[in-house]
Amino acid sequence: MITLKDINKTYPGAAPLHVLKDISLNIGRGELVSIMGASGSGKSTLLNILGILDGYDSGEYWLDGKLIKNLSENRAADLRNRMIGFVFQSFNLISYKDAADNVALPLFYQGVGRRKRRALAMEQLEKLGLADRAHHLPGELSGGQKQRVAIARSLITRPSIILADEPTGALDSRTSKEVMQIFRDLNSQQGMTIAIVTHDPGVGEQTNRIIRISDGRIV
Amino acid sequence: MTDLLREIFQTLKCNKLRTSLTGLAVAWGIFMLITLVGMTKGVINSFEKQTASQGSNTINVWPGVTSEPWHGYREGRDVELRTGDMEKLRQTDRQKISDVSSSVYGGGTISTAHEYTSSGYEGVYPSEQRRRGFKMAAGRFINDIDMNQKRKVMVLGEQMVPILFPDKTPAEVIGEKVDCQGLGWTVVGVYESRWSRSVYIPFSTARMLAGNSDKIGSIVVEMTGVETESQGTDLENDIRATLAAAHDFRPTDQSAVWTWNRFTQFLKMQSGMGILNTAMWIIGIFTLLSGIVGVSNIMFVSVRERTHEIGIRRAIGARPRSILTQVIMESVAITSLFGYIGILMGIGLTELLARIFDGSDFITDPRVDISLALEVTAVLIIAGALAGLFPAINALKVKPVEALRDE
Ligand SMILES: Nc1ncnc2c1ncn2[C@@H]1O[C@H](COP(=O)(O)OP(=O)(O)OP(=O)(O)O)[C@@H](O)[C@H]1O
Ligand SMILES: [Mg+2]
Repeated sequence: MITLKDINKTYPGAAPLHVLKDISLNIGRGELVSIMGASGSGKSTLLNILGILDGYDSGEYWLDGKLIKNLSENRAADLRNRMIGFVFQSFNLISYKDAADNVALPLFYQGVGRRKRRALAMEQLEKLGLADRAHHLPGELSGGQKQRVAIARSLITRPSIILADEPTGALDSRTSKEVMQIFRDLNSQQGMTIAIVTHDPGVGEQTNRIIRISDGRIV
Repeated sequence: MTDLLREIFQTLKCNKLRTSLTGLAVAWGIFMLITLVGMTKGVINSFEKQTASQGSNTINVWPGVTSEPWHGYREGRDVELRTGDMEKLRQTDRQKISDVSSSVYGGGTISTAHEYTSSGYEGVYPSEQRRRGFKMAAGRFINDIDMNQKRKVMVLGEQMVPILFPDKTPAEVIGEKVDCQGLGWTVVGVYESRWSRSVYIPFSTARMLAGNSDKIGSIVVEMTGVETESQGTDLENDIRATLAAAHDFRPTDQSAVWTWNRFTQFLKMQSGMGILNTAMWIIGIFTLLSGIVGVSNIMFVSVRERTHEIGIRRAIGARPRSILTQVIMESVAITSLFGYIGILMGIGLTELLARIFDGSDFITDPRVDISLALEVTAVLIIAGALAGLFPAINALKVKPVEALRDE
């Protein structure tokens, strides 16, 4: 599903920072992996590249058989929309839209009609046990519920891969377990490919494979 | 499309106070523009109505008193205009002088068997109808045969009919007899007018009533083919020269005869109106512009505040163009929505003014036509788009990574 070959990334600036150093990596279809490492080791940077949110300087990144390199903004936006589902530590829901509208938003950018969008969003929320919260604003939901809404949003376009950056970072241990259970179920029941960045060894343990990164290198 | 609109109104609704304050500036700008344009139009309309009804191609001449000695005469001599002067003026410039006429006033009551009025009469040439722009409600105006035969015929204003003939319509009055100066007169016409009560008889007949004196109180010279102010002034000077020769006064003696050149005055008024019109547009447009700049500013603030949100949208697959369109459409939505309110209020006020000033000479029909409202709407949409364009370009600089950054 994902193949990285000798990826390098330097943040330019007064003191350029070489964050990723010759990263080579394979994530197969249907894998559930975690990426772990110390703070500042480059995990988020790596995940941004995997999510086509950011570019890289040298090397090759293949996603589902496509070379992801020097894409136009439009092409990158379309690939993110259709192939990648994001789950963030701080949920990143839009505060003035209710849960269903938040979940449906990626479909808006595909030009799907409102009624169909809402129906698909409801279906997705139902699968995650949030049907009764569909019309609540994010501010009216608990952290775990917000993260489930965000997961529903990441799933709505049926992406090839889910990328999660510290998805349990803002949750307590009980809701963390619930969220991890959702990821495990998605992986085992639907064969969804999932990559999770985390600090929490407990989270790492629940994945098939742990990729450790230290000072910009895979160890 | 409706989807995009829903999206836009949702964002506008989150910031009701800010949206409405900005909108208010736009509404006020448009309101001012419409009101100013309407008022100006009203003033210009009434100016045009007046010039149309009184004619702008005439020079009136009245006798005066000499102020300078000339050819052995001392100053302070009365100048008297006579009927012979009219023929001399006709000869002055056959190309540019199309008509020379005069009028005399006479007092006295006009009466029927039961009613009377003491309005007096005015002896006029047939051309008076054209100069005054009279439309006939019934019958005809004074004509050349009346003049030649010194007929005792009379033309009444609409307002006089109910006074002299309480139960009759203008058409029924034609052919009726009235008394004036101890003579019997036939009513031959009734002219339309909402306020004039003048009664007209042939100039020749009026002179006969005055004892056939050839002294006249004023002369009206009608000109044709005069297009510039200097041509108008030249003709005025020619008229003075002719009269100076006839009455032996210095041609440059301004007080010997008094002249009122309506044409040059019309040109001055017209350029004044033009300046007024331009000034109003400039004021209105600047007021509107300040509203638009306000919208642009607010959009900048809004884009900055929503950096994170825009980042999220970009991360989940919004193309740059969707972001651009959304910001621009938001700006267009604010300007056109509130602009529309401003248009409605402006039209409402001009309508109100139209009612208040109905029939007055000062402001005539200040209503703005619907085409202006449509033009303004188009301007609003374009202005809204421009106001949103730069903030939108700013929004495009938001990279999708922003979404991942913690606030
Ligand atoms: N946009 C940027 N410009 C410059 N330097 C950056 C930028 N983003 C990250 N960095 C630097 O790159 C290094 C790696 O950052 P990254 O966010 O990938 O770390 P991380 O492994 O996700 O850390 P954490 O566990 O704290 O989230 C850090 O030293 C960080 O300061
Ligand atoms: Mg990180």
